Amino acid sequence: MQRLWFAIASTMLFMISVLAWRTESQHPRPTALTPTLTGKVEYCLTCHVDLDEISPSHPVETFGCVICHGGEPLALDADLAHASMRGGANPSDLAVVESSCGGDICHSGSAAVHRDHIQRVATSVQATYAGAIANIRYTFGEQASLSPTFAINAVTDSSSQTGITSLEEFDLSSESNPLIGKFSENCLKCHLGVEASSGEENARFTGCAACHTPLQTFIRKEGELGAIVTSGAEEGLHTLTTVISYNQCNTCHNRGNYDLRTMEFLQRAGHSLDRLYDYYQPVAQFTQCEYTLDCIDCHTRTEAMGDGDIHANQKDIEYVQCKTCHGTLTELPQTKTLTNPDDIAFTLASINPVTDLKLGDTILVTEKGEPLWNTRVLPDGNYTLFAKANGQQFIFQPVMGSDCKQDPARQDSNFCHECHALER
Amino acid sequence: MPYISRRNFLKLASRTLLAVSGLLGLGSLVRFLGYQSEPDSPTVFDLGAAANYPVGSHTFLPDIPALLQHSESGFTALSLTCTHLGCTVQQNGSELVCPCHKSRFGGAGKILHGPAQKPLPALRVEISPDGQMTLQKS
Repeated sequence: MQRLWFAIASTMLFMISVLAWRTESQHPRPTALTPTLTGKVEYCLTCHVDLDEISPSHPVETFGCVICHGGEPLALDADLAHASMRGGANPSDLAVVESSCGGDICHSGSAAVHRDHIQRVATSVQATYAGAIANIRYTFGEQASLSPTFAINAVTDSSSQTGITSLEEFDLSSESNPLIGKFSENCLKCHLGVEASSGEENARFTGCAACHTPLQTFIRKEGELGAIVTSGAEEGLHTLTTVISYNQCNTCHNRGNYDLRTMEFLQRAGHSLDRLYDYYQPVAQFTQCEYTLDCIDCHTRTEAMGDGDIHANQKDIEYVQCKTCHGTLTELPQTKTLTNPDDIAFTLASINPVTDLKLGDTILVTEKGEPLWNTRVLPDGNYTLFAKANGQQFIFQPVMGSDCKQDPARQDSNFCHECHALER
Repeated sequence: MPYISRRNFLKLASRTLLAVSGLLGLGSLVRFLGYQSEPDSPTVFDLGAAANYPVGSHTFLPDIPALLQHSESGFTALSLTCTHLGCTVQQNGSELVCPCHKSRFGGAGKILHGPAQKPLPALRVEISPDGQMTLQKS
């Protein structure tokens, strides 16, 4: 009997030894990387060696992986290595972005105001959705005015120049009107903190990556309109860029209409791959430049990412109009000759080098002084613009001296559309 | 074929399994004890003969990375690791420019434009009596 137990124990010990040896042997030989920024070894490249560099501003030799993504740097087991990652595959999710992308040497708390990106985005209308929430609550008698009280997440900014210094977190459980519930269920799908709706045409991440990882750029069509051949989901995953095409913006914008009677969102079908037909909604009017250019060619970083103040709605932060580039009958658009090599225009141009900006160049600037760094004033008095998404060059004229009869005081786009709207 | 009793078979099999288990264990122990952690980044670099760098030369040393300059007053070396986040700066005309976030430095490492807040540090250059030169990062 004793010999039998001895044999059984020997067999079990042998099996355990073989199992342990086999498990250990299956671990790959680690590929070590010691990023300059952290000076600490990480083994992530053991499996992720083929991953594309995420951007020229974030070279892997300098940043490594862990400083942005978190995770266990020395683990060779996938589950263990990924267990403590921030935001899953998306460290820019607003819930974790401060840990991933923040810090005063990166994207928050910087002395240079234009670099404090996280605070600006967190208080931006795209993150708070304050205008939509206030509008719906006002429409259904839940608040007395259109002034916002709630945001997707609570935000405060004691120095906000808009007079709105804080917004409370929108709490559906405290709402009694069932239509507010339907609004929450059907319509709160496009702020920066929420996952995209299903469907390739809605494909986007949350947080910074919602715009700066433009998955739609990698969705191609073949032959006839709408024949999608690749999903791009893998190809574009590890990308951060300021080259953002209109169809990435269209994962939220121009995607459909709200039905205020039923509080449902009626989504347009398909992809926005044909500019003329898909850029804007069918009822919308637009000019040739509005659909030929990309959203980021006209709308500034402040409009898109916020200016650090808490705004009531989208209309309060958007300010660029046709006259920003074209002027009026009585005024030319504002311009600026670049004489300071530290001008932020050079930084912006260097991030997306579609044009070689030089000292002495004269560019257009917005009414708030934001440089339209991809424009130039030409010697003949006309202007040129290099499209940020593809570098295509356009020439355009000022209104002054043209046959336009538009009242300089009436510059909303709908007035311009009366003569310049394009037929589809 | 020689006859082997059940008892002897069990005895032989048990001992064989024990021996193999022991070898596997011993192998694991050797592997464990032989583990070598990743070596620290080097801090001293052999640059070869000083005579290879004539007066007036500016030599980029990408592996360090550093810029070695030989002027009338002697050798100086400048770290090319950007003091902002650690990317390797590159020469652009008379300036050194970080390709990551566009910090700009003068030829002596002085900050011309942020986001870097500190100048590029000078590195120590030593020449041995036999004319061999080394560079120390720290």
